[in-house]
Amino acid sequence: MIVPFGHVLLLAGVLFMLGMVCAVARRNLVMILLGVEIMLNAATIVFIGASLRWQEMEGQVFVLFIFAVAAAEVSVGLALIISVYRRTGSVDPNNYNLLK
Amino acid sequence: MTLSAILFYILSGVILAATVLAVTRRNLVHAVVYLVISFFGSALLFYLFGAPMLAALEVIIYAGAIMVLFLFIIMMLRVGQFQEEMFPLSQWLPAAAIAAVYIFVGAVLVYTDPTNREVLVSAVATPQAFGRYVFENHWLAIELVSLLLLIALVGALFLGKSSPHRQTPESRRET
Amino acid sequence: MIDSGFVLPTLALVIFVTVLPAAAFVAIMIFLRPYPRWAAGASITAISVSLVSAFWLIFRHWHIEVPIQYTVRWVVSGDLYIPFGFLLDPVSLLMLIVVVAICFLVQVYSIGYMSGDPGFSRYYAFMSLFAWAMTSLTVSPTLIQLYIFWELVGLASYLLIGFWYEKFSASEAGKKAFVMTRFGDVAFFLGLLLVLLHFGNLNILDLNGPGVAEQMAPGILTLSVLLIFGGIVGKSAQFPLLTWLPDAMEGPTPVSALLHSATMVAAGVYLFARMFPFFSHSSIAMSVILAIGTISMLAASTMAMVSRDIKRVWAYSTISQLGYMIMALAAGGYFAGVFHLTTHAGFKALLFLCSGVFIHHCNTNDMYEIGQRGGRRLVAPLICMIIGAAALTGLPPLSGFYSKELILGVLADRHNAIWVAAGLLGVFLTGYYTFRLIFIILFPASISEDHSGHGQDAHDNRLNERLMVWPLVVLAAITLVLGFFERPLEHFIGLRHTADAVPTSGLHWTLYISLGLAAASVGLAWMEFGRRGAAQIGFVERIPVLNAFFSERWYIDRFYRFLLDRVVYNGIAALCAKNDEKVIDGSIDGFGRGTARTGRLIAWLHTGMVQYRLLIIFAVMVLLGMYVAF
Repeated sequence: MIVPFGHVLLLAGVLFMLGMVCAVARRNLVMILLGVEIMLNAATIVFIGASLRWQEMEGQVFVLFIFAVAAAEVSVGLALIISVYRRTGSVDPNNYNLLK
Repeated sequence: MTLSAILFYILSGVILAATVLAVTRRNLVHAVVYLVISFFGSALLFYLFGAPMLAALEVIIYAGAIMVLFLFIIMMLRVGQFQEEMFPLSQWLPAAAIAAVYIFVGAVLVYTDPTNREVLVSAVATPQAFGRYVFENHWLAIELVSLLLLIALVGALFLGKSSPHRQTPESRRET
Repeated sequence: MIDSGFVLPTLALVIFVTVLPAAAFVAIMIFLRPYPRWAAGASITAISVSLVSAFWLIFRHWHIEVPIQYTVRWVVSGDLYIPFGFLLDPVSLLMLIVVVAICFLVQVYSIGYMSGDPGFSRYYAFMSLFAWAMTSLTVSPTLIQLYIFWELVGLASYLLIGFWYEKFSASEAGKKAFVMTRFGDVAFFLGLLLVLLHFGNLNILDLNGPGVAEQMAPGILTLSVLLIFGGIVGKSAQFPLLTWLPDAMEGPTPVSALLHSATMVAAGVYLFARMFPFFSHSSIAMSVILAIGTISMLAASTMAMVSRDIKRVWAYSTISQLGYMIMALAAGGYFAGVFHLTTHAGFKALLFLCSGVFIHHCNTNDMYEIGQRGGRRLVAPLICMIIGAAALTGLPPLSGFYSKELILGVLADRHNAIWVAAGLLGVFLTGYYTFRLIFIILFPASISEDHSGHGQDAHDNRLNERLMVWPLVVLAAITLVLGFFERPLEHFIGLRHTADAVPTSGLHWTLYISLGLAAASVGLAWMEFGRRGAAQIGFVERIPVLNAFFSERWYIDRFYRFLLDRVVYNGIAALCAKNDEKVIDGSIDGFGRGTARTGRLIAWLHTGMVQYRLLIIFAVMVLLGMYVAF
């Protein structure tokens, strides 16, 4: 007996919200990526909790895939940040407004 | 209040506190370190929820590889020179608004569904069982994920390559 | 009432009287403009035939008992039936004679007065237009038809006042006349609508009949009477709409003689007489009308006392005498008012035409200068003018004496003595200002030589003047004898038609008082202006306050100017302009600007901070969640 499932969902929700705030309200490209990571982590918590609630393995399997995808995405994202930084010398996302 | 429940609440508190701190730090390295703490908490949570394999994987991949990668990039970019304007109102206010609405809606969703009242029954998925399950049922996904990792590798290499003609900020600083 | 079985010659006569001048107008405007003599000929021919027809009509129907009406169907709409046609009864026949006779005399006079004027044919065209409109007004069977011709008469007045339109003051005066009478006409029309709504039709015979009091509530009746009287206030230049008439003297003198003394301004009084039974139903309205008539009469007399311009004096006098007529009618003296209307037309036209001769000869309107330039050398006009002045003052045995006595008698029969006192005061003032003018011309302080000279121009002038004198002589003769027609005319008009009229009694105590006052006023004028060595400054002119007050027409014009400037221009017009600018233009511009601004906002969202796009994703997610939850 651990906790009601709803609590897990709430925890994940708040975590997700925090990740979203970090992605949207920080003026730094790296922090955007960090926010995305937090959100992914929140998703994994939900999957684990759901897996335990329905006593299925599928949730945990998917978490594995989430890890893999997160890793791939972070590496590519960071490489992009480096490339962009080399071009403009700044990591302020407001400077990237050539698409106006 | 079983021990597990108490543990869960403590861990949630740690995770949330660490995440909040991570989000609000000006110094990027501090932020990454706090996030590592948060991921440790997450890993322990996974262990509590009966996924020890994933707990280990979280520590290895997430806290170990990804966050270290972040640290490398931070140090490489020398973002210490960049004074970020912390929490400008024009960005923060809409985010806070949406966050508030989100929390509210989420809470409503959670509390109106009676299936969410069910208390979790603890179980453990041993690594053997987990591994067998994955490879028996989702071997195609594994192959695809490995392909994805390959693509990411190639992409990261290519994007991170410095072009020979252009003067990069790093090389500029050295001369 | 005879609706059909109309004896054809009478209809033909009426048509001749009214339509021939219209035909002359059309002929002149279209064909005869380049030929002044032909234009004058056409117009005078038309009006002569009208005159003969009018006399024929009145002799044929001298013993008319029942009004003759001939109508055709004109406006039919549901319950509404408005016919178009002619209505002949004693007062309309009498008025017809008055109008047509004076039109004729003035048109003959104008041959001399207006000769050489470049707008000669245009003048005669407008004269014919006026004749048509006025005669048709006289014989209208319904108030709507009367209103139509009322407006046409106003149009003719505007055209004739502003005849010399190159002169700014003349065109301004025409405009002022038209706009002021328009105010009255709006009230008139509102009254008409009220009557139409509550009574059902606008036939004059029905309105004067017995059924009105049952069908219309007393309050509505009083209101409609007052509104229709508003039209009379405008047209007959009563207080407070009286300031257009002195300014209307900018027109040629024959126009002033015709329109603004004898006929057009009398149209208001004629309407009153026509609708006398209808008006009499409401005693409140009659009292109000009596008061307004009294105020106009006194105010205009005071204004005449300080005026230097000959024509202005007669204009004020006209307003004053119209006030007398309205007082008489409002007090119940139907025949008194109608008779004074008739006699006044005669002697006021006479006075104007005489003044015209003086003005033509001396080239000035100012009475002092006319005197100094030897106006008194024109013997015939001077004698005619004295006859007219005596009639105006009410000296026996001239026509004005008889009609004024009737009026004073009617006023004396009322309970409140204030009205007859006002009437007697009016007699005194009238005599004073009239003979002031006569004496200034007759006994000027200094007199210059006879500059009329010889040669062709002078010869033409003298020819014109001789032509102008004949109508004067005719009018003077009429003035002399018309008084003796009082009894026959009274019988003709008949008391049967006027149930509320007050029968005129014989000699009255007011007779002696008024005679005494008239003599006293002549004496005062003599003392101040006529004596040898007199200062020629009136007693009123010695009092600066009164002088200023009367000269400025009791500041009515100033008041209107103030009203116009403050209320209309700065108030209402400014409000409308602001509304147009701010509200209408503003809303349209604002609409456009708002659209542009919204577009810019959306564009900004689109192109602004990169992180907003992330935010949009989350926002949509939240919305989806809300959709699922609620």
